Order: sequence, then C-alpha cells, then structure tokens
Amino acid sequence: MSETEINNNITALFNPETVAVIGASESPRKLGYHVMKSLTDGGFEGRIVPVNPGSTEIMGIPSSPSIDAFPDPIDLAIVVVPAQVVPKIFEECERKAIKGVVLITAGFKEIDDPSGDQQQMALAKIALKAGIMVLGPNTFGMVNLHKNLNASFTPDFSSAKKGGVSLVSQSGGVSHLLAFMAMRQGVGLSKVVGLGNRLNVDFAEILPYLMEDAETKVMVFYLEGLDDPRRLMTAAKANKGKKPVIAIKTGNSKTGDKASLSHTGSMAGNHKIYEGAFRQAGILHADSIESALDLAQALVICPPPKDNRIAVLTAQAGPGIAACDVCEAMGLEIHPFKPETQAIINKLLPPLAIRTNPVDMGPVWLDPLSINNIIETVMEDSTIDGIILLTTYASANLELLANISDLLIKWNQRKPLITCLASPPGVWDREVADLEKTGAIFNLPTPERTAKAMAGLCSYGVLARERD
Amino acid sequence: MDIIDKAIKEGRNALSEHESKELLRRYDIPVTREIETADEKEILTAVNKIGYPLVMKACAPDLSHKTERGLVRVDIRNEEEALSAFREMMEEVKDDGATVLVQEMVKGSRELVVGLTRDSQFGPCVMFGLGGIFTEVLKDVSFRVAPIEKRDALEMMQEIKARKILGAIRGMPAADLDRLADILIKIGNIGLEEESIQEIDINPLILSNSQPIAVDALVVLNP
Repeated sequence: MSETEINNNITALFNPETVAVIGASESPRKLGYHVMKSLTDGGFEGRIVPVNPGSTEIMGIPSSPSIDAFPDPIDLAIVVVPAQVVPKIFEECERKAIKGVVLITAGFKEIDDPSGDQQQMALAKIALKAGIMVLGPNTFGMVNLHKNLNASFTPDFSSAKKGGVSLVSQSGGVSHLLAFMAMRQGVGLSKVVGLGNRLNVDFAEILPYLMEDAETKVMVFYLEGLDDPRRLMTAAKANKGKKPVIAIKTGNSKTGDKASLSHTGSMAGNHKIYEGAFRQAGILHADSIESALDLAQALVICPPPKDNRIAVLTAQAGPGIAACDVCEAMGLEIHPFKPETQAIINKLLPPLAIRTNPVDMGPVWLDPLSINNIIETVMEDSTIDGIILLTTYASANLELLANISDLLIKWNQRKPLITCLASPPGVWDREVADLEKTGAIFNLPTPERTAKAMAGLCSYGVLARERD
Repeated sequence: MDIIDKAIKEGRNALSEHESKELLRRYDIPVTREIETADEKEILTAVNKIGYPLVMKACAPDLSHKTERGLVRVDIRNEEEALSAFREMMEEVKDDGATVLVQEMVKGSRELVVGLTRDSQFGPCVMFGLGGIFTEVLKDVSFRVAPIEKRDALEMMQEIKARKILGAIRGMPAADLDRLADILIKIGNIGLEEESIQEIDINPLILSNSQPIAVDALVVLNP
C-alpha cells in the first residue's frame, strides 16, 4: 500500500458511515455486548450492523447472520469473535471491500504459544493483499469523539469532553488510565486509539494521519517497545514542529539488551537511546503519564513561548520558590525584568519581600489594584516569554480571583500563562472552572507541575520556530 | 576495510588498540601518535621519534584490565625507563602475543568518551559523555541514532550534566565543539558503513587544550 492509500484507509477507518460488529451479543458477559453498547450509547449517527449467525436482532437493531449476507457497503468492522474464526472474517471483509477493521480479539502475537505469532502473520498477509488497515489485534478499540464513534468495549469513553488531544497507546490499560485522567481533569479529547499488537497500523502510520486530522491538535503516545523504531522517527521527523507529539516510554528498567564488551554498549540502556531518538525526531519526551497529559493540555490552551525567559508571580513566597527550582532544573530562565517594569513593581510593592523575578506579591495581597497592575506590567514586559502565576487561598483573600479574572480574560493567553490557584475543596472551584472555560488560564494543582508544563511548552516552541 | 577483514579472518571479535586507532585515523578522527613494536631493538628509535615524556602500553586485541595489570606506563622520561617498561610489560604479556605501543603523552585533564553501539532495534547509535573512570561511575552520557547531523552532535554535548567542562574553565580554553561534532558525526558514519562493527569505545578522548584526541580506543566486531 502506498502512503496515500494507507492515509486514506486510516481516515476511512476513523470516519465510517456504516459500522458492523462481528460477534455482537445481547449478553453482558461478552465483549460483543459492550461494543454494541459503546456504539449505541455513544450516539453514533451512522448505521450500526450487529453481525451474529444466531440472532435476527441485537439491542433492538436488526442483525445480519454474516458480513456476506448484508446487502449494503460496510466501512468499518469491529471484530470480537474468537481468534480461530478471525481469518475467515478477514476473507469476508476482503470480499466486502471493507478497508477498516478494529480487531479486539486477543490470542495472537501476545501469547506465549508461537502459533499466535504465526496466526498474526497470516492475518497480516490477508490484510496487505486486501488493503485493510487493522487496529489490533488485542486492542480495546478506538474512539473518535468528534464523530460520536465509540468503537471500543468501554462505553464510558463517550462521555469524555471533545477536544484536541489524541491519545495513542500500545497498552489498553494505559489508554484507559490516560482517558480517565483526561476526563477527570477536563482535558478535551479527539481520538483514543489502542494499537494493540499493531498488525499493520503502528505509531509510524497513525502519526501522519493525525498530523493531517483537523481535530487533533496534540498527540500523546504511550510506547513500551517498537520492532522498528526508525520508522516512527522518520515519520516524526518529516512532520517536526507541525503539531506537538508527546511520548511516554516505559520499560526503562531493562539495561542493555546484550552482554557488552565496551562501555558504550553497557551504557546504552534502551531508555537513553529512545530519549536521544525522540529529540532527534522532534518528539517531546514526558517522564510520566501525568506530565504528558499536563503538557498536552498546556499545548492546547497556551501558545508556545518565544523563548525561555519566565516570570514567576506569586502571592506566597514558598510556592514561588518551588516553581523556580523546577524552572531552573529544566533549563528555563527566571529572567530579570526590564528596568521600566521593575520600577513600576517597586512603586507598587513595599520593600518587604522579593520584588525582582520571582515577585512575591504578598505585601499587596489585599490590594486588587496593585495586584492587577503588577501582573499586567509583567505581561507586557517584552523580555518575558511566559508567566507562572501562583496563589493559595486564605480566608482574607477570598476575593482575589474575582479581582484578577477580568485581566486574565482580557490577556487571553497572548503569552503563555500557567497558574496554580490552590484552594480547599468548594472554594474558588467555580471561579477557576469559569476562567478555564474561557481559555484564559491553564490551572494545575502544584507549582512544580506548572513549571514542568512551561518547560514542555518552551521545548515545543523551539521545534515550531524551526519549522517556520 | 582491510583491518576488519584481517581480524575477522583470524577469528577475533575485537581490534587491538593500535588497529582501532588506525581505523579511526582513516576516518579523520584525531588519534595519538604512536609506534607499535615487539622488538626491543626498535624501542630506542621509537621513543626518539615520539619524544619524551611518553606513554608505553601493551597492545593486543583481547587485552583487558590493562591498568590493573600494570600494562600502561605513563610519563616515561628517558631510555632507561623506556627499556625497563618494555621488558616488564613483555614479561607480563608474553603468553598473549602482545606488542608494545610507544605513544605520545597527551596533556589535558578533561577526559571524554565517544562511542558507537549497534542496538538491536535502532541499529548504530552514537554516544557522547564524560570519560575516564567517570564513565562507569556517573554514566553521564547521551545518545543519538546514526546518522547524526551537526545540531544533534551539539545537542548531545549540551545534554550531559558535566557540559561545563567543554567551556573555558580554570584557565583551560573552550573545547573545539566543531571538531567534537565532526568526530561524533564520523563515528555514526562508521557505524553505517562498517556493518561488522558492533561497538566502538574511544575512552578517553582527551581535550589537549581545545583539541580532542583519541588516547585509547576499542573496536568490537560482530563477524
């Protein structure tokens, strides 16, 4: 298959008109039931075709005994039948000219028995001949939120917020974890994709597709290991700086994959090479699932900073220091302000706390006008590329958020602004949510996480500038 | 390459230090000036050619733990020291078919490591890091997948924690980063061109003022 053909078929796979569920079931003990539930509960607007030789109707939808017996074209087949039946299903798909398959069935390359690998290779042959793109085998499926298409066995994915982050994972478990975290944190999702055993759709195929996909703004990849990582590097390099790609790579505890005579060989833990390869290919490396999602959300909300000169504005000294520590460790510069900026701050702030960057705004805590003026002055300083704003709630400053909201909304992320507005449950929650809804702020629970996300934004800024 | 072919024909899985450096030299990677001999009569000519102070090392394809076995003698300053070093080392390695290298003594306290490894998934990868005894202890190294570009090479140097030693410090000049980058690029090219090379270790690569020189090298083969 040519690259264009692959891209077209993957596009069709994610945007079907008619979806067949091969192995659809009425029994909640079968995955075929949960897939049907995902499709129907998710509000899929196209046609759903349950396929089961023993039924005429499943969940109130007329079913077909086989793919062959269905008279109209099918765009996507979700397959949940036992492994030994799958080759026959693939042949039916070929006859029906189905170009997209989500193969949930497990029992292939991932099993101990070498026959699993052989069976998978046999399937790959049919798929190649027929030009079928396959997600899986051994996947939970995929979700295209903007199409209300939940082609997975987890109906709950449908209630995720629609947005710009696409999650692609080698592990179904991590896909679920990432998606659930995103749902809790209000991160808007575009696609959630389980690659499973990667019969013929691997990261190297999904990346170019998502680069062209209008709804995807940021990609998060979870990898454990690749058979041919250079293919992903080539695909990523060709699209360097076009859209952010964040990768989490686990399985780092294994040391080099062979006994080695030289230092270089024994030093080459797989992880170190992946780190270097990611940087070479313009992939942003996240050291945890949490920071990957933080950065993805930051990249959706905030523009990348022009350079790495960061201002830390804090209402309490401690959180400011915590943020500065991480900023510096990650190579960001807590940059001195322009003399004009500093003069204004000095006029507004009595010399009771740190007035240079980081600014401890504690002394004017209860003076909304001064707080607003300080924040605005720093925002306008041309030597500052990004701002971290931190404040914790105290009973006496309850009104603080209300007082700075207008300014933050007016600023509207002209330069990246990441906040840590910390409060006990039930206090400030509405205000923070309202500000987030307008896109004025990206709020994180700790100063360290704000700094890490800012550092990620800066790294992407470098890539984006190089592309321009 | 003839050096590699010869070693493979002899059933070896590594090149000697001298052969390894000859291979590097052919790729225009700077190596120490040195003369290899097993003949006591040639020692005096060799030391006169290299000049004092100099280093003498035993040399054979499978000679490990050279330092621990007293097979590296540094700061040799006259004929008498050179001759006794030669005799003692030849006695120690007489069963190994080893020779002796008479080598210029490179002055410089900044030791780096540059290497190549053939990863089972990525293929040839280039390594840069802090050299000498610190390589093992601190593991302060960075990797890239070959072939690498100059920007990759420069980034690798910035990624190690000890990057400051490449700058002008304590009266020493800044390292010639262009030359270092060139070495890293060439090491990657060797990995792509010579498929029977499994690993390369240049350790230490010493900064002599601003200029890097390969002082010890090991090429491991995968015939």
